[in-house]
Amino acid sequence: MTPARQDSGRGGWSQRLTVTALWAVLTPLLLLPIVAIFVFAGRGGWTAFWRTIALPDAQFAMRLSLWIALWTSLANAVLGTFTAYVLSKHRFRGRGPLSVLVNLPVAIPTVVIGTSLLLLWGPIGLLGRFLDPMGFRPMFAPLGIFLAHLLVTFPYMLGAVKPVLDELEVTYEEAAYTMGAGKMRTFLYVILPALRGGLFSGTLLTFAHSLGEFGATVMVSGNLRMKTQTAPLFIFAQFEAGQIETANAVAAVLAVLSFVIFMFLLRFTGPSAREGS
Amino acid sequence: LRKAWSAESWIAAVLAGVLLLYLAFPLLQRTRHAAPRRRVLVVYGFSVLGDAMNRGIFPAFSRLWKEKTGEEVFFPSSFAGSGTITNQILLGAPAAVALLAHEGDALRLKEAGAARTDWREFPARGVVNRTPFVILVRKGNPLGIRSFADLTRPNVGIIHPDPLTSGGAAWAILAEFASATRLPEPLTAEDVRRGSEQLRGIWSRVVGQSPSAMGARTQFENGFGDALVTYEQQGVAARSSRGEEVEVVLPPRTILSEHVAVLVDRNIPVRDRFLALSFRDFLFARKGQEIFVKFGFRSAVDPGLDAGNPSLGALTDPITVEQLGGWERAYRLVVERIWKDEILKEPGR
Repeated sequence: MTPARQDSGRGGWSQRLTVTALWAVLTPLLLLPIVAIFVFAGRGGWTAFWRTIALPDAQFAMRLSLWIALWTSLANAVLGTFTAYVLSKHRFRGRGPLSVLVNLPVAIPTVVIGTSLLLLWGPIGLLGRFLDPMGFRPMFAPLGIFLAHLLVTFPYMLGAVKPVLDELEVTYEEAAYTMGAGKMRTFLYVILPALRGGLFSGTLLTFAHSLGEFGATVMVSGNLRMKTQTAPLFIFAQFEAGQIETANAVAAVLAVLSFVIFMFLLRFTGPSAREGS
Repeated sequence: LRKAWSAESWIAAVLAGVLLLYLAFPLLQRTRHAAPRRRVLVVYGFSVLGDAMNRGIFPAFSRLWKEKTGEEVFFPSSFAGSGTITNQILLGAPAAVALLAHEGDALRLKEAGAARTDWREFPARGVVNRTPFVILVRKGNPLGIRSFADLTRPNVGIIHPDPLTSGGAAWAILAEFASATRLPEPLTAEDVRRGSEQLRGIWSRVVGQSPSAMGARTQFENGFGDALVTYEQQGVAARSSRGEEVEVVLPPRTILSEHVAVLVDRNIPVRDRFLALSFRDFLFARKGQEIFVKFGFRSAVDPGLDAGNPSLGALTDPITVEQLGGWERAYRLVVERIWKDEILKEPGR
């Protein structure tokens, strides 16, 4: 981070020009698209906005998305922390490849993740072939969406927790052991409290990503209104069907929600919580 | 050391609480009053049917079923490109009834063993409704487009649904090909040459594609392109939502698409069989057909019903898929051999 340059008058003038240029570039690229959502969502006034938001299928889609996001965050909080703990505290064979593997979902396009799940759990899939006759059909059901989100968002929790674990002084743990605390007690009373910040921001990141996930969801959900249609799929379907106001009303709600989550993320991972640059 | 909660933590906690309450709300409601007996029938349909089903067929059938049995019927449904929903059903989507844009997708369901009941034994050989293919143009028809041949002109930008996922797009391709031939005379080599020529000309003017006919119309209504090739039903719907902004051109020679209803037997448990059959019958009954006509389709069961909707244009010389030798032959020749293998692969397209 470089401190703001306090130059001569000419420097101030050129700086103002640079900043203005930056705004001129970023306004149409970043700011105006968000404005457009709210303008279109609010076109019919508040009453129309509320009527649209209150539609049963819109309500259902938002609730489903929130439920999925909640379960995904909880599941990944446990699974991600466990993975981070093992990767950070244990040295074992295959640790290198495993570290790469767990971060892979960030690099794979979400549509590909959706396809891969269909080809694993679907009726013609590797496992699905055997499970389908038994009546276990996770695809085109909420469980399928959950599985997809679990996979897509897995690296976020890991990325938030593992750096903290890596930096955690071993001496604290050793002190706890020497004082007679078991592995479990050490984890609960020494490690977990230190992880609070990482866990919190990891959960929020996972939640936000799950809430907006589209690519994998569209492949595995079946897009059934009132059954498996999440909020982003609802927005897409409504937009496709030409119901732009309906699509934008839900989009605006998602945008506000993401904004709030982001604000909290900024607060909790702000300068005080951040290490390095 | 236990610190007092900061203001932010309080706000976060309150927001989380509100969120949880919102999530739990339907659960609380459900326990309060016992719901009437509910039946579920999952329906998948091709994109442009959405409106007619959601606002017409579903409510009408639910009312009828409730009068007869006292049960509520709940219709989880999904509307997308005909090819898309067919693929989803093949991959295990739980549809009990599928409404498809053409027989080709129905045949795929049959071959995979998902549909066992033969739809050709339904009334009108399983054709639940029909619609001719039209061209939507901007207000006042500034480019003077009257026929498919006019779409080959260099100044036209066409919006087209994607034939890989949209059934409507396949019909559109058949119309673009067949309108240049001398059907119903038997197809000659000269006919095929002229049809391919026109198809090639039209596809060199396509500026935008969408996975479904519905999506293509949205693109067009949002200002993209000069012309949209689509179902007449979409033209009727666009006129009623956009008024004068768009005009419907019904070409003198065009194809009459036929949409089929299929029972996906694999996904119909015995206890729902009667419900699914009753729903199928309702689609073909007078009431169901009238609803389709009201939403801009034409009746395959009783063409006399079409007079009930004044916005349906007068058909002079429609081409049917029968004249092209049936869906399978027509699709293989025009869509696969000419469009996919020749035109799509031409460089510079």
